[in-house]
Amino acid sequence: MSKLHTEEFVVNMGPHHPSTHGVCRLMLTMDGERVVKIEPVIGYLHRAIEKMCENRTYVQCIPLMDRFEYVTSMSADMVFSLATEHLAEVEVPERAQYLRVIMLELNRIASHLIFYGVTAMDIGALTPFLYGLREREKIIDLFEMTCGNRLTYNYIRPGGVSKDIPPEFVPQCREVIKLIRSKLIDYEGLLNENPIWLARNKGVGVMPPELGISYGVSGPVLRASGVEYDIRRDDPYCIYDRFDFDVAVRHNGDCYDRYLVRLDEIKQSCRIIEQALDGLPEGEFKVKKINPFTFKPPAGETYARIENSRGEMGCYLVSDGTNKPFRVKLRGGSFNQLQALPYFGTGGLIADVVAIFASIDVILPEVDR
Amino acid sequence: MTRDDLKDYIASHFGDKLTALDTGRYDPLYELKAEHLVEVARALRDDENLKFDFLCNIGAVDTTEHFEAVYNLASTTKRLRLDFKVIMSHDNPEIDSVIDIWPGANWHEREMWELFGINIRNHPNLTRFLLPDEWDQGFPMRKDWDAPDFIRMPEPET
Amino acid sequence: MALIEKVPVYAEKIPGGSIVTTTLERVLSYGRATSLWYLLFGTACCAIELMCTGASRYDFDRLGMIFRASPRQSDLIIVAGTITKKMAPRLRRLYDQMAEPRYVIAMGGCTIKGGPFYYDSYAVEKGVDHIIPVDVHIPGCPPRPESLLEGCIHLQEKIKKQKLGDWHKKVRSYDQG
Repeated sequence: MSKLHTEEFVVNMGPHHPSTHGVCRLMLTMDGERVVKIEPVIGYLHRAIEKMCENRTYVQCIPLMDRFEYVTSMSADMVFSLATEHLAEVEVPERAQYLRVIMLELNRIASHLIFYGVTAMDIGALTPFLYGLREREKIIDLFEMTCGNRLTYNYIRPGGVSKDIPPEFVPQCREVIKLIRSKLIDYEGLLNENPIWLARNKGVGVMPPELGISYGVSGPVLRASGVEYDIRRDDPYCIYDRFDFDVAVRHNGDCYDRYLVRLDEIKQSCRIIEQALDGLPEGEFKVKKINPFTFKPPAGETYARIENSRGEMGCYLVSDGTNKPFRVKLRGGSFNQLQALPYFGTGGLIADVVAIFASIDVILPEVDR
Repeated sequence: MTRDDLKDYIASHFGDKLTALDTGRYDPLYELKAEHLVEVARALRDDENLKFDFLCNIGAVDTTEHFEAVYNLASTTKRLRLDFKVIMSHDNPEIDSVIDIWPGANWHEREMWELFGINIRNHPNLTRFLLPDEWDQGFPMRKDWDAPDFIRMPEPET
Repeated sequence: MALIEKVPVYAEKIPGGSIVTTTLERVLSYGRATSLWYLLFGTACCAIELMCTGASRYDFDRLGMIFRASPRQSDLIIVAGTITKKMAPRLRRLYDQMAEPRYVIAMGGCTIKGGPFYYDSYAVEKGVDHIIPVDVHIPGCPPRPESLLEGCIHLQEKIKKQKLGDWHKKVRSYDQG
């Protein structure tokens, strides 16, 4: 009998798909049931944020940074403010530094809770979505109490933060941390030993650490492959060197480890927030001499980087001495992770591609800007 | 290795190719000539004391006189950072690809080509990816670009 | 003229015929309004608020709205997020694939007139009005879940007031004008 003639065909996981987080198009070349090649097509959310920043003052750019990374918009504001402060060489007051750390870590927990809910929903479990978002609402209440908005906060500005926290923030924050710690036990009990979860995630999408480093992958995706690289510890910014926390690392590099690393990170963030709340000093919350209308940092260029919940977020800022930035280049963690996806995501079924894509936690505006 | 040690090490080993521009602030900045790009990048990655294996970012800048491509590097094992920039002419900007050294440079260089018009030699796949497929209005991130439906924010009346 | 637009014309000629048409209108519009199934179409930041509105604290299910992944099974599209020039033809295609009668809610500032991306952006479609006909606009950046719920209730009121054939007249005037 002669061999059957087969050929490969292309399946389009189009820009509108319930499992691509945002508008990402994946062209999958299939050989029967197995995926042979993945080609991501992006650009469906390219909003020209970098061009817009060139015609706005420094403080007017902060709301644009919020929209660059809207799930963790405190981090996006932070990286731009950090770059501006490097250029202008201002010293941020102590109270503002502590408030920044508290807000950044709360935002990291909120982002990982969304990851928990949405990843489980992609695999097919609908209950964790409702649980994760219910806890996230308590964190959003804290943010709303401070800066008035639920999603795009516009809070961390060059020179400090925009407003001081009200007196009821600290006790409520402690209550929220206690609640999250107790609910994490429920979340782990729901999914960690679940046979369907293990069958869909264990051994799927293994990323070797050398591949990750050479493609610039960072964050929980790299730490799940065994590389212990965390910018909060290795290149500390904003008083992170004063806090005592562990870097969450796992060694297999598959989807299950990427999920476990993020749950570990929630626990470490709770530790950091408690230490920051205990040590919160009194004082100014922003530098007085920065006037938002006439702030002109000296000419120069710098690259500031922070550890976001998706990896390394960077901002390369060039100033020419006027009150508007000359060039802003933003770098998000998802850009490099999506670039590396074709090299570790193939060989499985389409359902495996869905599981891998959900576990690397890509946000499209970081990719397209 | 501290930042001063890094400065001295670079000056002794790469002093003829990397010229120091600004080494006092947070990230030391050097300038590199375009013809030495690939060999210096490979040496920086493979050097035993430096091991710059993580390419954070490649950014292109259009100062109106010339184009610059800025490379930001980091080391995952040695806790070091380095930036260097390559200057190209405004009329015909061209640069070599570093994709053999850091494969993560692939999409960064494609974006540089698409939005600024900088030609990348030896790149395997220079096609459109951020802008719509039927885009025919030039290179939008250049400072002298304009289009009929591009609405600029008006200056505030003081 | 669609067939459903001819029914009131003939029914009014029969004595007592308008009672049948008004009761039919009320039943049909009540049925459409209280069971709107929406298409999951979120591009940017407003999609997170849409997800939160469908989650535990602000529940969409109490208005009868369930999310569907396919346009063929839904009758409402909530356009949440910025629409760029590259995405616009895909949005039109999704709208064309939905079954009639279909409704559109434009959520957030970006879909109304470009939002924060009106000035200095070369790739954003400034408003979704010139791609698909919109029923309800909800301002905000992003709008709170309570605003989105209020917008859906406004849409339900609008549908309950519709008469037979109104929907076809509206779409024809959009396509011609």
